[in-house]
Amino acid sequence: MKREVSKVEKALTALWAMHSGSGKAPIGTPALLIVTLVYLGLMLSVAPEALARLLWFALYPIVMAPVVGEQYGRVFVRSLAVLPFVILIGIFNPFYQTEVAFRIGSVTISRGWVTFMSILVRALLSVQALLLLVDSVGFAGLCSGLRRIGVPALLTTQLMMVYRYMTVLLQESLDMTRARQARGYRGNMSLSMWGTYCGQLFLRTVARSERIHRAMLARGFNGSMPVLAAGEVWNRRDTVTLVAVTCVFALFRWGPLPALFAFG
Amino acid sequence: MSHHFIEFDDVFFSYPGGHEALRGVSFRITHGEKVALLGLNGSGKSTILLHTNGLLLPTRGTVNVGGIPVTRRTAPDVRRSVGMVFQNPDDQLFMPTVEEDVAFGPLNMGLESAEVHRRVADALHRVGAEGLEKRAPFQLSGGQKKAVALATVLSMEPDIMVMDEPTAELDLRARRRVADIIGSFGHSCLIATHDMALARELCTRAILVADGRIAADGPTAEVIDLFEAGV
Amino acid sequence: MHMSDALLSAPVAVAADVVAAGLLVVASLRIRKNASENAVALMGVMGAFIFAAQMVNFSVPGTGSSGHIVGGVLSAALLGPWAGFLTLTSVLIIQCLIFADGGLMALGCNVLNMAAMTALVAYPLVMRPLLRYPAAPWRVMTVSVLACVVGLELGACLVTAETVASHITALPPGRFFLLMTGIHLAIGIVEGLATGAVLLFVQRSRPELLQPDAVRHDSRRSVRGVVIGFAVAAVVIACGLAFLASDEPDGLEWSIARTAGSPEIEAEHTGMLSQAAEAAQQSTALMPDYEGSLAGIAGTVMVLILVWALSSVLVRSCHRHKNEA
Repeated sequence: MKREVSKVEKALTALWAMHSGSGKAPIGTPALLIVTLVYLGLMLSVAPEALARLLWFALYPIVMAPVVGEQYGRVFVRSLAVLPFVILIGIFNPFYQTEVAFRIGSVTISRGWVTFMSILVRALLSVQALLLLVDSVGFAGLCSGLRRIGVPALLTTQLMMVYRYMTVLLQESLDMTRARQARGYRGNMSLSMWGTYCGQLFLRTVARSERIHRAMLARGFNGSMPVLAAGEVWNRRDTVTLVAVTCVFALFRWGPLPALFAFG
Repeated sequence: MSHHFIEFDDVFFSYPGGHEALRGVSFRITHGEKVALLGLNGSGKSTILLHTNGLLLPTRGTVNVGGIPVTRRTAPDVRRSVGMVFQNPDDQLFMPTVEEDVAFGPLNMGLESAEVHRRVADALHRVGAEGLEKRAPFQLSGGQKKAVALATVLSMEPDIMVMDEPTAELDLRARRRVADIIGSFGHSCLIATHDMALARELCTRAILVADGRIAADGPTAEVIDLFEAGV
Repeated sequence: MHMSDALLSAPVAVAADVVAAGLLVVASLRIRKNASENAVALMGVMGAFIFAAQMVNFSVPGTGSSGHIVGGVLSAALLGPWAGFLTLTSVLIIQCLIFADGGLMALGCNVLNMAAMTALVAYPLVMRPLLRYPAAPWRVMTVSVLACVVGLELGACLVTAETVASHITALPPGRFFLLMTGIHLAIGIVEGLATGAVLLFVQRSRPELLQPDAVRHDSRRSVRGVVIGFAVAAVVIACGLAFLASDEPDGLEWSIARTAGSPEIEAEHTGMLSQAAEAAQQSTALMPDYEGSLAGIAGTVMVLILVWALSSVLVRSCHRHKNEA
């Protein structure tokens, strides 16, 4: 149960930290979103055998991190969290792909190891790109950015509300857990106890939604959430940066970069 | 001048489950009056408040706000002149930032962006919450949340303020601040509260509700004495 | 089972993203049309509820290990299929963005696997027809388990299909499929029991909430129609990918083997796509043989380290300049 409590507390901390971005994003949020998507799309389309080409894509998070005010080293360490699951699946590659890829003297490296490394690199780079996006923009900014690139308002409103009330509900569930602890319960709940617990949480959630709805009506809510005009507008710098960065990524993807080290 | 009154005329109300919460409630609050609504939990105070802006509609009798009878159709208009502050600020601060919450009302009223910004700044200033614009609700203290909740209603510039337990769960300092803010209002106010000291300080008149009926309606000190004696 | 970007190829991820996006647009339209006023508030807080519920473990009866709910079928049972789908999707998106749980490009897959299969398929096709309230406890439990198993197994099938079609992992498809479906059978049963437990509690205390007037049901026909349409589209896309991709995962740039003196190893390109890609590559690349040489990898890594060092220093001083200016 202690683990459960700390899991919730960790979640709360992460939520609080995510609220506002670092404010150092070099371009507007919609543009940064598109850059991230293009990056991921191109990076993930590289075949797992082409490890050398894939590694060039690491230049994006390496350069981007200091631009948005972070240290790449720290971002890298945070990204390691996704490795366990990926290693679990990827480790089978060396077993099934035994064809030889390289020889260093008498040591052979099989294709499977190359693709395994690729899997790890893909996992790390995709998480790093995501971390940089969210850290620099912040969650609230992300939602308004999503709305500006055309995501349905109902969904972005939903994201904002879930985010807003997650802290409240997690706190509520933490209180209920601590109350249980205080009464001497240890370990996990039985299924029926859990059903009651969640059922009660659900009922409180419905009651809360009624109160929120009344508060919204009292302030003139008419079905769609109003939008406070954001300060930023898509400008030329966004376009130029987007085009330039896309060209760089295209170079990574299709350019003759691995051939630069054409020896041996 | 004429919009600043609320009139309940023999109002009856039963909840869908069958519970009859109001049994013939009548009173009138006029321009500039600050009226305390007193009573035990379950007496009908909150139900009365919810009738003032059409969130609940009477099963019998009428509610009149500034000459407009409150119906499903007129409710949106009534809500522009009656500003309601709920007990739990977490229920009213549902936007990602303070700024967006305070702007919610004016934006729904269809005001221009510049006017909205002006009202937001003004409302935050009046409650002493300047500088909190970009904060998220979970970054606010209890007192700050209450103040911001007040601001979300003030920005609509209503004629009448209706409040449910404005000082509940606040520490001394936050309570003082909220009391001062309410004291500075020029609006008519209807304040449901358990805080007798607040009622004495701010309200010249009090209405005592018991079992869905008005048990007393008069000068605050007298009504409070009656209430405490009866309990 | 959140999918990671690492195991998905770009075409599969993008195809799933497109299908999921389409479903979300439809969901938004449906909810706007049918839902009652308080849908915004209710779905918002319910999303938070689902998230909180996922974080609380219970003991799996009979094994003593910990289990937790995902909540797809539960969301649909409490909110209706489209609102349930949207709510669970919002939870998945937040898990991805804030907790890096599941990749960004993989969101489409995760939405399809975990939200669509449960809320849009298992609930309307299994739970809703079989469960009329008030219902006896055994019935609630049985139907819940059935619906969750169906929903999660469908999800497992999709996970397998997406992974195999991507050709990133070398796990044999057959074995992977058995593993996934086996695991999700167990998970589905557990999820069904948990879902049933909550539904029973709500039925005991506030049964009127189980006929969601709050977010109204769509007519059975409309949900089925849309979901079938999307399912057909998804199957067509998937078959297309499978047809084009080769049977033997061989990658597009499999001309790496450049070892001193040993002959080049040609992969068996049996798939149209990889044949076409190889042809394209041989005509555009300058030195295809060095695509993946060891020296290439080493050299690239050195470049990365150099750039890392330079950029940290340069950009930091640039920021300082900006602040001082």
